[in-house]
Amino acid sequence: MLSLLPASKWNFTTAAHLLNRAGFGGTPHEIERLAKLGPARAVASLVDYEQTPDPTPDPAWAKPDPERMQKLAALRQAKAEERQQLFMEERRLQRQRMSELRGWWLDRMAKGPRPLQEKLTLFWHGHFATSVQKVRDAYLMWLQNDTFRRLASGNWTQMLISVTKDPAMLIWLDQAQSRRQHPNENYAREVMELFALGEGHYSEKDVTEAARAFTGLGLNRVLQTCEYRPRQHDDGIKSVLGRTANLAWSDVLEQIVAQPQAARFISAKLWRFFASENPSEALIAELAARFRQAGNDFKPLLRAIFLSEEFYDPAVVRAQVKSPVQWLVGSVRMLECELPPPMFASRMLANLGQDLFAPPNVKGWDGGTTWITTNTLLARYNQAEMLVTGERPMPLAADQRPFRAMADRFNRPDRKGTPVDVAKLLSAAERAGKATVIPVLEKRLLQSSLKPKQKQTLRAYLDSRTAPNDTDFRETIRLLMSTPEYQLT
Amino acid sequence: MKNEPSLKTRREFLRATTLCGALSWTVPSFLAHTFSVLQAKAADLATQPVTGRDANILVILQMAGGNDALNTVVPFASDHYLKARPRLALSAKSVLKLNDQLGFHPSLSGFKSLYDSGQLAVIQGVGYPNPNRSHFRSTEIWQTASDANRIERYGWLGRYFDNACAGCDPTVAVNIGRQMPQAFAARKPVGVSLDNPQRYRFMSHEELAADEMETSKAAYRKLNKPSPSFDDGLDAGGSIEAVAGASPPSGAPLDYLERVALDAQVSSDTIRRVTSKAGNQAEYPVGQLANSLKLVARLIGGGLPTRVFYVSQGGYDTHTNQSGAQERLLRELGDSVKAFMEDMKVQGNLGRVLVMTFSEFGRRVQENASGGTDHGSGGLMFVAGDRVRAGLLGSYPSLAPADLLNGDLRFNTDFRCVYAGVLESWLKTPSAPILGRQFPPLLCV
Repeated sequence: MLSLLPASKWNFTTAAHLLNRAGFGGTPHEIERLAKLGPARAVASLVDYEQTPDPTPDPAWAKPDPERMQKLAALRQAKAEERQQLFMEERRLQRQRMSELRGWWLDRMAKGPRPLQEKLTLFWHGHFATSVQKVRDAYLMWLQNDTFRRLASGNWTQMLISVTKDPAMLIWLDQAQSRRQHPNENYAREVMELFALGEGHYSEKDVTEAARAFTGLGLNRVLQTCEYRPRQHDDGIKSVLGRTANLAWSDVLEQIVAQPQAARFISAKLWRFFASENPSEALIAELAARFRQAGNDFKPLLRAIFLSEEFYDPAVVRAQVKSPVQWLVGSVRMLECELPPPMFASRMLANLGQDLFAPPNVKGWDGGTTWITTNTLLARYNQAEMLVTGERPMPLAADQRPFRAMADRFNRPDRKGTPVDVAKLLSAAERAGKATVIPVLEKRLLQSSLKPKQKQTLRAYLDSRTAPNDTDFRETIRLLMSTPEYQLT
Repeated sequence: MKNEPSLKTRREFLRATTLCGALSWTVPSFLAHTFSVLQAKAADLATQPVTGRDANILVILQMAGGNDALNTVVPFASDHYLKARPRLALSAKSVLKLNDQLGFHPSLSGFKSLYDSGQLAVIQGVGYPNPNRSHFRSTEIWQTASDANRIERYGWLGRYFDNACAGCDPTVAVNIGRQMPQAFAARKPVGVSLDNPQRYRFMSHEELAADEMETSKAAYRKLNKPSPSFDDGLDAGGSIEAVAGASPPSGAPLDYLERVALDAQVSSDTIRRVTSKAGNQAEYPVGQLANSLKLVARLIGGGLPTRVFYVSQGGYDTHTNQSGAQERLLRELGDSVKAFMEDMKVQGNLGRVLVMTFSEFGRRVQENASGGTDHGSGGLMFVAGDRVRAGLLGSYPSLAPADLLNGDLRFNTDFRCVYAGVLESWLKTPSAPILGRQFPPLLCV
């Protein structure tokens, strides 16, 4: 199990697979570059990302703002009218910042120098799925995102400690409101069920006892940091997962990580995210063993995964349904085009079922084939048009002319994207002779090929135009993206 | 009135089988199949709405997050209740009384009026053995109707479709939203998801392309045809048979994608036609649940051959500050369902629509210190329709501390008995093959 991929099997296809999964894909040129490096150096170039400087600045507002928080707190005493108005302002501000934050993150994924770090940040966001719907503060959502990024390939215990103290999490799972007299069980349950062990690997008693141990952890709402309040802590004897003592919150986390199941749980989840949905029991055991040997550090495990022959198995390659983020960021990278404006990009993702910073619930997105319903598949096809042409297709038939005004409003200049630059994707010679267009696009967009019938269809589409122009090439690209095949990576 | 429709004419027989209607499980599948193909090929605007009007429709309404049953149907006279809920208890004065013990949450006036007019059944004390307090596991148990200790892959409605609706149009199951509920997961996947009928189709800038040029839309149709056997026309009718005929196992992601792509193509034509025909004819409140039900009403009014619709309303996970949140949610729930029933009445479809709610669990009897309640058990179901056995069904669980199970209410009605009743008396299909064994059906219709 988990054998090393021989260098002889390293080629364009395997390099493309690595870049698709450990990052968000890339251009044929970028793939060629990885292919030339050989497996060890190619994997290192992604995994050892700290060696690449990342100068991306934080959003300007990404810092605590005690003055604002105090003002908001004082509002409770204010007159209803004044309160109403200031709340509205606050909501507008938060909406604006969330839009910026989504754009900022997508930009890092699409253009940043550390694709694996961003991919891992996305993994952790889906794992510790926290939603701004309840947290309602863009700074706290950024702060959590920054924690995920900082600790992305670090130590598991450290990650759990940081997440437990994370202000957004304290709000999201109600730890901020837990009191000694009646501990709130929400965080205690989810940390075992969803974050670290899995359903069936703890008892209801463990949940109630852990909730007692977590009491005392609270939130300073003005400083927007975690605060420990000894007087709120239940310092009686608790028994969690077989350990009995006056347990503190950090003892519980250590006890959780000490369970053999903890290593199995998180390494299997990483495999599912990066490789395939159904790892065998033997493979999970091997991954877990390596993870424990490495002192519960993620980086050695990731390196082992990306260097394993199993990761490049034909049943794994191009058998993952792209998440909406993968679909969007990957398309932008492969098409060498710009991300749509932030407001648009976030709405696009929400329509496809992956609203960043607003997962449906604490379990995160189910992923896999659940990304695809008739609704979201049609939405992908239609948004491909937007990505490629820069304009939203109208949901109207040609005979509905009175709605033209609405169409124009839809495509106001500030809402438009930029059309794909065809010259970047197809050389003048390729555009002149229709024969090579389809294979060139297949290599760029699928790193694999369509079925013969589909190729014929695209070819026929081009052939029905005597001299295809950029608009025709863009529509051909959009059509290639409107296939079941393009939804896989 | 409560009689099953009997099949008197060949025409009716054709309709019923096409729509995997009332008695299709008694029809040999090859026959049903042949007729459905004949019917599909002959499909035209005139017969579609008429056929739709024959069959019963089930609307599943998920109250996601675990609704606090105690503050929904309130045992206002119980001392145990008042004691366990010092902050959250609702007083005898505020509730909408059903009798001298129980009353609806004050914001459930929509349900109260349905109740008073004999259109609402309240099933009390619903649950299952070995209750699970995890949202996800418990939701899964409700969606798959499995025992608490068994993992089941397919949903209970998915198994119904597999059993009773082989060869159906994909729109036999319609989910309003973006993600398919696990209840619909089937060996042979059926069902479509949508939330905006205007955008539910392949759109292109190119609709006005010159005649001799291949249009983008035509190319899209060909690109999304899964295999050569589908060559003879992809109009809505012709491909129904195709879906049923070639049914590769739903294993590989590409197979799955191809099937969804075809369903999307077929159903988008149908749905656009159907929604252009019917509007809403009742006053709905503002909100997402109301919007979902409005769309369901239009699809029913337009004659879509759907047997099961699925809508959901989230937000019931009230660990903190429960009162405001639950008040808002229940108001939206009651008012939306009431408006939907009125819409159905105006349409003339009231008699064939049943709305059934569920929530993954109830909440702890004892409130917590954050003005909320934690995950518990003991739930409630509401069943609304013109033909329901209106009133209180089952019995209210005891709140006496000695009767509680780890601080939770004990159930007395297995939710699968409710499913069995709905399957048998509403969808007219034997429940045992779908639920794995025979549960004594709770007859709410």
